[in-house]
Amino acid sequence: MVGWEFPPHHSGGLGVHSYELCRELTRMGHRVTFLTPFPGPFTPVNGVEFRHPGDHQDEAPEFPEAYWTGQLEGSPFGEAIDGYNAWIASGSGIGRIDIVHVHDWFGTVGGTELARRLRVPVVMTVHSTEYDRSLGHPWERILWRERFGVQNADAVIAVSHHLARQLEERYAARPERIRVIYNAVRPSPRLTPVTSARRTVLYLGRLAAMKGVDTFLRAAARVAPAFPDALFVVAGEGPEYPRLVDLAVHLGIADSVLFLGHVTEDERVVLLASASVFVLPSIVEPFGIAALEAMAAGVPVILSKTSGVAEMAKSVFAVDFWDTEEFASRIAELLIYPVLQSTMGEGGRADALREGWPERALQTVGVYAELLRGPGGRT
Amino acid sequence: MKILFYLHMHQPWRLARFRYLDLGSGRPYIDRERNLAIFRGIAERCYRPALDRLIEATSNFPDFRFSLSVTGTFVEQAEAAAPDVLDRLARLVKTGQVALVGETYYHSLAFLLPAPELAEEVDRHAAMLKERFGAEARVLRMTELAYSDDLARFAESRKYSAMLAEGWDGLLHGRSPNHVYCAASAPTVRLLLRNYPLSDDVGFRFSSREWPEYPLLSEKYVSWLGQSPGDVAGLFMDFETFGEHHKAETGILDFLAALPGAVDRDRRLSWGTVEDALALPPVAPLAAPVTMSWADANRDLGAWLGNDLQRSAFEAAKKLGTLVRTLGDPVLLEEWRRMLTSDHFYYMYVGGHGADLGVHQYFSSYGTPYDAYANYMNALTDLRQRTVSALGRRDPEKRSPPVASAPEQ
Repeated sequence: MVGWEFPPHHSGGLGVHSYELCRELTRMGHRVTFLTPFPGPFTPVNGVEFRHPGDHQDEAPEFPEAYWTGQLEGSPFGEAIDGYNAWIASGSGIGRIDIVHVHDWFGTVGGTELARRLRVPVVMTVHSTEYDRSLGHPWERILWRERFGVQNADAVIAVSHHLARQLEERYAARPERIRVIYNAVRPSPRLTPVTSARRTVLYLGRLAAMKGVDTFLRAAARVAPAFPDALFVVAGEGPEYPRLVDLAVHLGIADSVLFLGHVTEDERVVLLASASVFVLPSIVEPFGIAALEAMAAGVPVILSKTSGVAEMAKSVFAVDFWDTEEFASRIAELLIYPVLQSTMGEGGRADALREGWPERALQTVGVYAELLRGPGGRT
Repeated sequence: MKILFYLHMHQPWRLARFRYLDLGSGRPYIDRERNLAIFRGIAERCYRPALDRLIEATSNFPDFRFSLSVTGTFVEQAEAAAPDVLDRLARLVKTGQVALVGETYYHSLAFLLPAPELAEEVDRHAAMLKERFGAEARVLRMTELAYSDDLARFAESRKYSAMLAEGWDGLLHGRSPNHVYCAASAPTVRLLLRNYPLSDDVGFRFSSREWPEYPLLSEKYVSWLGQSPGDVAGLFMDFETFGEHHKAETGILDFLAALPGAVDRDRRLSWGTVEDALALPPVAPLAAPVTMSWADANRDLGAWLGNDLQRSAFEAAKKLGTLVRTLGDPVLLEEWRRMLTSDHFYYMYVGGHGADLGVHQYFSSYGTPYDAYANYMNALTDLRQRTVSALGRRDPEKRSPPVASAPEQ
């Protein structure tokens, strides 16, 4: 498996997906060699061997941390990516494998080359596209790797139908090669909600332009006057942080909004357990795993119609991302009608837990099996 | 064996999206144009072609007799969207071969509200029948074929001779639905029962290709009727069965057109209206201590009041009723009554399995039950605020405290 981030070091759905998939695959008896540019340390998983450039004393470029700091332009990042891909393609120290599975764009070139040399099929899972991450201003150095991966994979897994359609439109992906496999969430014991004098309306996620946190604040400004006991919590960090704080002040709701900045895993759990409403107003959201986590915690969710979670969940309010009034109304409705809040929370929990990672892993293995026995298989 | 063919015509006034932020805005709760557009579509696919076939059958077969019920909200929409549908109905009634059945004007759950709401709504419906069709109904049905001992007593008090009910074993305890019964609680009230297997063969199964009997032709169906023992067979269904629930391409309209002749040719069978059946003596009294209906596998009120959303919405509407009635303003009273239409609560149905869930989703005008609930509650909250402020204006000395944003639940 060709990856990138992996717990505990991860910032989004990709790391979680890689980890859970590895766990379930190894439980089913498969062995996974997980390639990543970083030396770790990673959360260990039985049956998973982590490999990174340089770990077998072979020549490997040093990989910069530029990706994490967001300073890609003008850094040696491109060279490092090339090095990572060259190392993957070399198959250095990799034993016999049946399938190459690449996640997102980072290792598409190396992964595809490796599969070609070993005459095994290659699967690519797309978690998001560069068009989405850049809000329509894609970076060509990333774009071509993404396109290359999608066009050369024997099967492409998209985490939502919305994303699958994009792959067809943007990259001319062949529909018959695309499979949709959603993310999942692990069932957890329900926590007793943290009682507080103020009810919380929660946004939890990166503070990036594509997340539409503006809409959350503008909706908050519409309902805050009628709900003095409501606290609008923005949990997460990102480049939009200073602008969003300014916006809250400008909207006159500084007293009703709490910016938490970075939250730890433990804080995340507590936040979800204590929230009355969870809002994910993303302009673009290929999946939206945080919404699924909120649902699993029994918190009613309002999200934009374009998110992957909106496709698979019935017990949510799905809203057009630009419709601030509708977001505001939905927040107010969940705060004002306790029966709605509890019923939708219950329904959402059932939706979120209907299929878990074991099902997703089984669906993924189904894709492998199709390639290994079908006419498209190269074995 | 008398075939009691009875068709129910109803369209609800569906609500517009009424957001929380629309409270106090004066926006209407009902999207009139959307409702009328839906009505026009159904008129085209169902009401016109099916009524034309029925009109033709009444002239071709003088012995063809059947029964109809028409809700007040249906008539209001027909008048605005497709008045020719009402003309066709009037023509049918004039043949003397059709009996009209009484019910609530609003297709409402008024039977669960304190008196005299139910009586007023049933009387309003009776007045509408009289005015529009010159007809007087002797047989009463409740919304969704709800029936109970109390409802039989109500029918008796309003001088109805019979009620329609589901031929459900919970009522019959092993007896056949194919007889005329009477209410144990009000023996002057006859009970005419729906033979649900035979009714659902047409209403639900007709177009199902998985059904072993598919395709159902009129000869086969009539042979089943002929083999069914008893005095009467109640074939009760939605009028929309013919052209809407089953579209014309399924052959349902041809089936409808062929049915009168096929029954006519079978000497064991004859047609009758629900009023014709009153001539038959009741074979036994039946008790219904708990309210039943014709819906879902449980035949209870679960489809409308089965979950917390539905119960909380209905309770809120019920509470508002006290205020609205105290005020007595005819505009607000009318708006409140439209909120009692059972369909609103049906849209809030969450659970359900298999066939029932499919049926619920088919009939819902919302994406989810949560949408339906939030929207309904917003409109109701707005209506409550208007009512409270009107009461305050009327009795300034008894002015209520300012309306809190939360409604009573």
